[in-house]
Amino acid sequence: MSSFVAGRFRLEDVYDQLNCGLVMLDRDLNILLWNAWMARHSRVPASAAINADFAALFAGQVTPALLRALDNTLSYGLPSLLSSALHRSPLPLYPHHPGGQGEGAQRMAQSVVLTPIDNPDGQRLCLMQVTDASNSVKREKMLLSHSEVLKRQVGTDGLTGIPNRRYFDENYARALQRVQEEGGTLSLFMIDVDYFKQYNDLYGHGGGDRVLKRVAETLRAHLQRPDDVLARYGGEEFILLVSNLQPLQAAELGEALRQAVYQLAEPHDKSLVERRLTISVGVCTRELEDDIDGRQLLEAADAALYRAKLGGRNKVVSTS
Amino acid sequence: MSILSEIERDALTEIFNVGAGRAAQSLSEIVGDEVRLTVPSVEVLRTDAINEQLLPRIQGRFATVSQNFYGPFDAEAVLLFTEDRALSIVRDMMGSQMSLDQLAEFEREAMCELGNIILNACLSAMADMLEITLNSSLPQYVVSSPEEISSRLSEVQSDERYVLVLHIDLVIEKHQTDGHLIFLLSSTSLHALVEHVQAYLRKIELT
Repeated sequence: MSSFVAGRFRLEDVYDQLNCGLVMLDRDLNILLWNAWMARHSRVPASAAINADFAALFAGQVTPALLRALDNTLSYGLPSLLSSALHRSPLPLYPHHPGGQGEGAQRMAQSVVLTPIDNPDGQRLCLMQVTDASNSVKREKMLLSHSEVLKRQVGTDGLTGIPNRRYFDENYARALQRVQEEGGTLSLFMIDVDYFKQYNDLYGHGGGDRVLKRVAETLRAHLQRPDDVLARYGGEEFILLVSNLQPLQAAELGEALRQAVYQLAEPHDKSLVERRLTISVGVCTRELEDDIDGRQLLEAADAALYRAKLGGRNKVVSTS
Repeated sequence: MSILSEIERDALTEIFNVGAGRAAQSLSEIVGDEVRLTVPSVEVLRTDAINEQLLPRIQGRFATVSQNFYGPFDAEAVLLFTEDRALSIVRDMMGSQMSLDQLAEFEREAMCELGNIILNACLSAMADMLEITLNSSLPQYVVSSPEEISSRLSEVQSDERYVLVLHIDLVIEKHQTDGHLIFLLSSTSLHALVEHVQAYLRKIELT
């Protein structure tokens, strides 16, 4: 008995109280120790396990990776580790339900640690410790899915469901960099709902919200490529970024957007354009080989939008 | 002045490539795709030289997996990847697409396993070819800044300290990454290692 055990209790009782699986194997994979945790989760009692061949006991249900790790630890005396992330479930162990339920349940997620132990006769044995990783796997999955949801929410406009300004700004920087590296053009569309303040005054904020959603849906339906970015930029202002259009194609796309909103035929009795909802579009298309920064392109698109409004609204102004 | 002769360095490179091959095979089985692992070069440096030669080239933090081993010679073996490389290796292996900029707990465990596979394969190749027995601790995962690594290396011992540096090329899921495996040794242990390498060279020349 070793120097740190006083000997007024049985070590077997300690093994059986441990909240992890403990197995000792000899070089031929004969089982020398099988604690209560192992019996509970493997549904193999110690009486059947002790002196049995570990690989044969589970008849093909032990993963090859675990068998190889065992062999490695027994041949070289080097400790090994099998993570739950890469192996999930090396042994056929199941969650224990005291009520007797859970037959045929899924195998428990496990982490396994193998350490060599030399016995007093100089034979090398392998101690296997198995811990239940299902709680940490569950917790990490939950955290990850939360973080994914939050990440999506942070970039999404709550009303229209399209990306928000924050998302746009991040993507804009990336798009500028891509065009500077790979060449091509970038077209920036600024889109404004005409006389939206008057619309809200007349139809109420509920009506304003509803119509913004319709406009967002209509604009979104015109996206053609996965890397086109449409975002709600401010109250009634939308922004659209499309790469590799010629100035003429950009003007045509702007016109298509204007017409699509026009054809919604949403009544707007306070509009000074017509008695329906309309948009104004300013677009600027640039090649970015020269060192034009993102702010300049934004300002140019904004100036085009301003001219579209000055020109009587329900219009597209395209510059390059 | 070179600490290892050219032939000794070649022998060590050969030994570690045998280990790398074994590790690649184990990793391939886990990933279910071809994994290639090679050790293109091995060098021995004084600990004070490693700061200038290795660390300034790297920005950001290191993800390290280390094991202490002992036998005819003792050393601390440390597998070093930059943290973002470690992230992409583990996520390639797990086939996951996570956006956290640090390894989550279970990814750290996976990184520990990756380190354990590579370190054990190198140690077992040494054990086989040099005909020795090595014992080792379990792997530990630690994230360190380059400064922390430097100060760990420069902890002055009464004995001179050497570093055996292995450059590692790892290709998982067609993504190539490189890292380092370093062995921190005392001069006594380094000399013991060199003697075993010389014995190995004598043996293969005679047979």
